[in-house]
Amino acid sequence: MSLVEDTTPVEKTINGTVVRLVKDDITAMDIEALVYYATSDLKLGSGHGNAITMRGGMAIQKALDEIGGLDLTQAVITEAGELKAQWIVHAVGPKFQEEDMEGKLKTTVLNSMKKADEKGIKALAFPPMGAGFYGIGLDVTAEVMLEAMTEYLKGATGLKEVVICANDSRDFVPFKNQMEVIQ
Amino acid sequence: MSTQTRSHKATKVLERLTKKVNRQIAGTMLACVHCGQCTDSCHYVQTNPGDETFIPAWKADRVRKLFKRHMDWTGRVIPWWVKASSVYTDEELEELRDIVFGKCTNCRRCSINCPMGVDFASMNRMARGLLVSVGIMPEGVSVVSKDQWEIGNQMGVLKEDYLDTLEWMEEELQEELEDPTLKIPVDKEDCEIVYTINPREAKYDPRSISDAAKIFHVAGESWTMPSEGWDMTNFGLFSGDDDLGGAVAKRVYEAVERLNGKTLVMSECGHGYRSTRCEGPNWSQTDLSFKAESSVDTMLRYIKERRIKVDKSKNDFSVTFHDSCNNARSCGLFEEPRELLRLVVADFREMYPNRAENYCCTGGGGAMSMSEYTPQRLKSAKVKADQLIATGADKVVTSCHNCVDGLNDCIKHYKVGMEVTQLVNLVADALIIEPAKTTVVVEEVPAAASAPVVEEKAAAAARPLTGRKILVIDDEPDVCTFLSTVLEDNGAQVLTAADGDTGLALARSEKPDLVTLDLNMPGKDGGQVYEAMRADDELKELNVVIVSGKPELRGLIYDKDVRKPEGYLDKPVSEETLLTSVRKILEVGEDNVN
Repeated sequence: MSLVEDTTPVEKTINGTVVRLVKDDITAMDIEALVYYATSDLKLGSGHGNAITMRGGMAIQKALDEIGGLDLTQAVITEAGELKAQWIVHAVGPKFQEEDMEGKLKTTVLNSMKKADEKGIKALAFPPMGAGFYGIGLDVTAEVMLEAMTEYLKGATGLKEVVICANDSRDFVPFKNQMEVIQ
Repeated sequence: MSTQTRSHKATKVLERLTKKVNRQIAGTMLACVHCGQCTDSCHYVQTNPGDETFIPAWKADRVRKLFKRHMDWTGRVIPWWVKASSVYTDEELEELRDIVFGKCTNCRRCSINCPMGVDFASMNRMARGLLVSVGIMPEGVSVVSKDQWEIGNQMGVLKEDYLDTLEWMEEELQEELEDPTLKIPVDKEDCEIVYTINPREAKYDPRSISDAAKIFHVAGESWTMPSEGWDMTNFGLFSGDDDLGGAVAKRVYEAVERLNGKTLVMSECGHGYRSTRCEGPNWSQTDLSFKAESSVDTMLRYIKERRIKVDKSKNDFSVTFHDSCNNARSCGLFEEPRELLRLVVADFREMYPNRAENYCCTGGGGAMSMSEYTPQRLKSAKVKADQLIATGADKVVTSCHNCVDGLNDCIKHYKVGMEVTQLVNLVADALIIEPAKTTVVVEEVPAAASAPVVEEKAAAAARPLTGRKILVIDDEPDVCTFLSTVLEDNGAQVLTAADGDTGLALARSEKPDLVTLDLNMPGKDGGQVYEAMRADDELKELNVVIVSGKPELRGLIYDKDVRKPEGYLDKPVSEETLLTSVRKILEVGEDNVN
């Protein structure tokens, strides 16, 4: 059996907003805004944070330092420096099996979209929130993120495009499966 | 029944424990009779006599007590007899972290010396995974794991930088072999070999990539490197995170299948070889449809099949061989590197003990990334230093990038005076390159014009850093003189500073293209200088190469939330290493000199 999964982009439309699943490098994407799964101290750190710093420059961390910190489930927006994206939504989600992971994750996703809307952002890309390093199971992440997106996009919003950006095929497949059950 | 309150993290650790204990781990939990056979096998014990907390059986009991208390009937009925107890607080978990990460490199030397078959290293790895799942881990493990999860390689090398390095190495090799058709192919389909590497090679040791490319080229191999899934290392082995292990292994396997490669070849990296060839299929629940081998096997095969010819007299120095724990003890790769070594060097001397009984480089198990434990790691390296010194060899060869770093730290700390190298370097240096294997393109140039042009190009190539301004900040006059001389000889304008404040002032006034920065300096240390540079709007984009002989000070740079330096060199620095690093950072190739 072939290991290579089909990662052709998948799309659904929810109340006029396109939700698209792609396999890509989120910090290199040409999109208006991207979400970074942040820590409460707003230090970019390694992983996507490292890529944001290397591609986007030090101005992003400097802007975050001026903000200082952020509570769990909250989001804040900075400019994206020299990234192709214009804005970064820094959202502090739950980590490492902490209590009420699913509830906190859903609130974090909702708050990210709300912040983007307040800024007038039309196109927003999410990573698989909390999956991978922070240990939230991919099936849980996919279910909670798409549930939150569906709920939010059914209300009034200026978002025209929401992208879920999978790192690799392992990330991609659970989201693809979940996309298929969206009504 | 205890009524003590248990923290959320402790609860989660115990819940996961019951899921992670398989038959092998259960055997390890139950079989220990505390006979003491493991004690002297551990390099930590040998260098900390009288400290029981380093004894493998003692360390294992910190985990075993949980199993006894929560999974074994004896612990429920007679807990005082079998020393069963539980864990309740985050502080207790942090104490366990300092044992399983800080006092063991998972080298498995105690495992093979246990008459009862207790595999402490596997148990220790499981315990690491339990702690990682609740976010309790050394900072370095966190940084590296997140890079590998999210960027796709454990050193956070961006795709564009990786591809740029391959292109650069290709150009260097074309120059060296005078063959403009020579390629380092990327994402070429249907090749015999898909070659994967340790990201350390792309970041700090690109010569190992060009040496491998040279060998493939001379062998006439059909080969390629993938643009994704190229990191064959796997921090999941060190962190105990099986999910990371599976994700990383799958990326590599997918790359081979995507490109329809016949054989996956892994460069010389012990934990990468073990993870990708031996453990990865289990972690990723994958059956491999292709062959997977170490580049050591590949190079040996080329010589046996006469696809490459080597002349051992080209490597006219004495060498010894360090068996990587993961290659040797865990995967049985003992004889192949020795057979290859004897073909490419004239004077090979065994190190004792060797093969499965060899001691760890003391940087294994991810220890190189855990700066908080560096002092006790270097203390334990005395065992390795004694082994190295006893060989009397000029160089130590190892088939593991992690061991290269571990051995270099050991050699510097104990002033062993030995160079570390790998088989790929020795094979490349021993190659007999026949003219038929290279194509020399001679451009017809009018005789009158050709001489000055050639002379000009030759002069530029001899001084490739011409027009570049470099600031050397180092308090050691000898080092300052050496670095300055090498850089000036290659055309650079060099400024020097003997302390951090002077260095910062010169950086602001002179705007150099690159700064080499020592870490251990009186007054403002290198870490403070570096932080000040990154926080300064005028200096934040400066190219910085850390040049340090104190590995324990790495944390001054790498534990800070600032952009990482463009390069890191260990003292003593060779001329070749310095120039390779500086030229890469300044993007100065042989053919784009000023």
